[in-house]
Amino acid sequence: MVNFQMMIFFPMLAGIILFLIPETLKAVKGIITILISVYILYLAFSVFSAASGLYQMQCTIPYISSYLILNVDGLSKLIVIFLSLFSFLFALYSYGYLKGKQSVECYYSYYVITIGAAMGAALAENLLFFIFCWGILGLTLYKLIKGHNEESSSAAKKAFILIGGSDSILILGIGLIFKLTGTYNISAINISTSGALANAAFLCLLIAALTKAGAIPFHTWVPDYVEHAPASSSAFLPASLDKLLGIYLLARICIQLFSLTAWATMLLMIIGSLTIICAVMMALVQHNYKKLLGYHAVSQVGYMVTGLALGTPLGIAAGLFHLINHALYKGGLFLSAGSIEKQTGEEEIDNLGGLSKLMPLTFFSMLVFALSISGIPPFNGFYSKWMIYRGIIDFGSGPDLVNKLWILWLGLAVFGSVLTLASFIKLISGVFLGRFNQKFAKIKEVKFTMWLPQLILASLCIFFGVFAATAILPTLFNFAPISGAQNLDGLWQSPQVSILILISIVLGFVIYAIGNIGKHRREDSFIGGENIQDETNFAPSDFYKTITEFKLIAFFYNAARKKWFDIYYLGKGFILGLFNIFSACHTGILSTYLVWVAAGLAIILLILI
Amino acid sequence: MTKEIFYFLVFPGLLFAGVLGGFLSWFDRKITARVQFRQGPPLFQPLYDFVKLLAKETILPKYGSPLTFLLSPVFALAGATLAAVFILLPVLGIESGFSGDLLVIIYVLNIPSVTYIIGGLASGNPLAAVGSSREIKLILSYELPFLLVLTSIIIKSGMTINLREIIDVQIAQGANIGSLSGIFGFITILMCVQAKLGLVPFDMAEAEGEICDGIMIESSGSVLAIYKLVKYIMFLTLPALICGLFFSGLELSGINILWSILKVLLVVLLITLIRNTNPRVRIKQAMRFFWVWMNLFAVISIILSIIGV
Repeated sequence: MVNFQMMIFFPMLAGIILFLIPETLKAVKGIITILISVYILYLAFSVFSAASGLYQMQCTIPYISSYLILNVDGLSKLIVIFLSLFSFLFALYSYGYLKGKQSVECYYSYYVITIGAAMGAALAENLLFFIFCWGILGLTLYKLIKGHNEESSSAAKKAFILIGGSDSILILGIGLIFKLTGTYNISAINISTSGALANAAFLCLLIAALTKAGAIPFHTWVPDYVEHAPASSSAFLPASLDKLLGIYLLARICIQLFSLTAWATMLLMIIGSLTIICAVMMALVQHNYKKLLGYHAVSQVGYMVTGLALGTPLGIAAGLFHLINHALYKGGLFLSAGSIEKQTGEEEIDNLGGLSKLMPLTFFSMLVFALSISGIPPFNGFYSKWMIYRGIIDFGSGPDLVNKLWILWLGLAVFGSVLTLASFIKLISGVFLGRFNQKFAKIKEVKFTMWLPQLILASLCIFFGVFAATAILPTLFNFAPISGAQNLDGLWQSPQVSILILISIVLGFVIYAIGNIGKHRREDSFIGGENIQDETNFAPSDFYKTITEFKLIAFFYNAARKKWFDIYYLGKGFILGLFNIFSACHTGILSTYLVWVAAGLAIILLILI
Repeated sequence: MTKEIFYFLVFPGLLFAGVLGGFLSWFDRKITARVQFRQGPPLFQPLYDFVKLLAKETILPKYGSPLTFLLSPVFALAGATLAAVFILLPVLGIESGFSGDLLVIIYVLNIPSVTYIIGGLASGNPLAAVGSSREIKLILSYELPFLLVLTSIIIKSGMTINLREIIDVQIAQGANIGSLSGIFGFITILMCVQAKLGLVPFDMAEAEGEICDGIMIESSGSVLAIYKLVKYIMFLTLPALICGLFFSGLELSGINILWSILKVLLVVLLITLIRNTNPRVRIKQAMRFFWVWMNLFAVISIILSIIGV
């Protein structure tokens, strides 16, 4: 018998106790956090090997015990194991990253509480217990950013308002579900999205899931958050944990809570495709590398939503596999970005360059992550994207309008993938390749505790890509609605291809050995006989200027710059507009107030009579 | 596994595609010379080029990332050979059990271009950066029409994404080029292939006269030799893909060998003639051309194939 409540309540309690240790002993707190996360990882493995089913937590108070039921099935096992893995890796990274840095207060306490709450949300059977844990996550999200730099507070407020708002909508949705079914237990609910109430409940839950995961139009907290948060929090929350939980909720909605009708599928497909394209177009023109990664964290959600919306076993498996892959490489990318930021202090791509020689390990891992997210075979991102594309093509033979539009979905997904590649070419070349800036001559590779998580994630990216069909999918993705989806008819044999690529690397070196590469010479760049000056440099951030010159695209970029698509600013504008109406009434002239009072009295009297 | 290694290194992979591609590149140069009233190179010139470059001294960039610079051609070779294997096995009708579908082919065909870009940027040369930015924008331009043409073919072949099955459908019902949608699709994919091969009018990434070979500017000696080999392989692979998609594949038996050679030569001839009769366009013009006109052609092709014309 696994001690499940330890997974949830032990970190929460430990986090509260960590508040008692003074901030000056940050290193001690860091080590305690790492130890806790190791213990949670160990517990997660025991959860993974436990039999599926419902588990009652031990509880002495009789009344609340019916809420404390845990649902251990394939999906929650998958989420739990990766939640704990990422918690461990990012705790290790945080130790090095936050050392000697004035940053977020009580970082580790909130970090540890987050682990517990995330476990609770992933394992909860009862929707009320679920919303309890889910709500704590919104609070720690807010606390894990504040105080990093001057603008952190406003970014934190924005994230908190959006997440908090979506949480209250989630509560409304849960209430509606209770009205429809009379139960809070997830495994007992299955509603068809046909009635008005059912549709409303579906939309409420959908908004909560999409806001957490960061899909358009509820994505706007993610880019701001990652720009102003410590890199370790960005990797921990928006890149991995919030994605895992948001998509987990979406998967529960699609697989279990609701059976989707054609219009719901259509809605999800539109959201998915728009998210892919719009976010990646925004990423293309960013100059700040953290913000660029933030927009990619949004764009990739589109693939997961698309995959889950397909509703076929292949599609759902693809969406979930992409979720895991995304957490691996995007977590890694944020860690690498944090390393660059810590060593150089620069956040603009234009000010960096030529770091590959100084930070070789970070360069290698970032290159692997970039190739993975761009879907270059045989890395993991390629495999899950390929599964999604296959899913879309299979989906195309269905009868509804949404099936008939498969070419649109496929085209947007593939095009989004190329745009991703384009923006990562810009990132890699701007930061690591290109001409070396003398300002950074003294920079060294980051410490062991920081590069180790990066390398682990990079090797997992390669491993998940090469052994996806033979090892990963059959073990991790072999549960009820999607089992058997991994038995594709073998048209992409990743292990064989990887061996061939290794052979060709050897072959390449043989060719270099035949050609006398040993007799090489190093020369400065040749630019047609002119002298190289600063002006001759072609900055990578100008790569895509041509694209912004097209009139239609320029229009959308301008609109985005004016924040027309930012639901936070739209909502703010709406509410401030309401304030204006009310403040117009507050003139300070007593006679006007008297008129209002008299009018109000008259209305009350009229109603009462 | 030995079977796969044979496919990869000998037939129809590295050796076969390299030699035949070299021959096609000679054909291209010979035709070009004839168009321009020149004599043209001898038959073995591509081989001489390759061997000569291997023997030359290699110059590595002083301010860049030499290791990345050296590894890029190697990965380009891996990607190109993989593409050759995945395309030529089904197009030649070899039963192998080792294959990739059209989606895999799309992605594998991009590997060489991506490695050119990374290699160019690793040299630290500003002109290479200009070339790289153009190359990536070119990929952005042609990727969507290329995919759309493939979906048109997928619809015509009854929703299969297996290249061999697509060819089998054509053998049973007549080649795709014979239909109206096929003609639109063929024009689109020919332009995409022109851009993928980096030939005039879409050679702005390498523009010799303007940015001194752009992404290739710093390549020399063995590095350039491998890039040349990659280009030979692509020069066979992409026309072979067109033959598979529109001319019911190639066959290596009896009189069919002649037909197969003629099909490939016809496609290469078209590519060569286009490159010899057009000026280089600017990158913005190329993007507009692909995004507006080629996408339009591809969509027409899709609509026609849904109707069944």
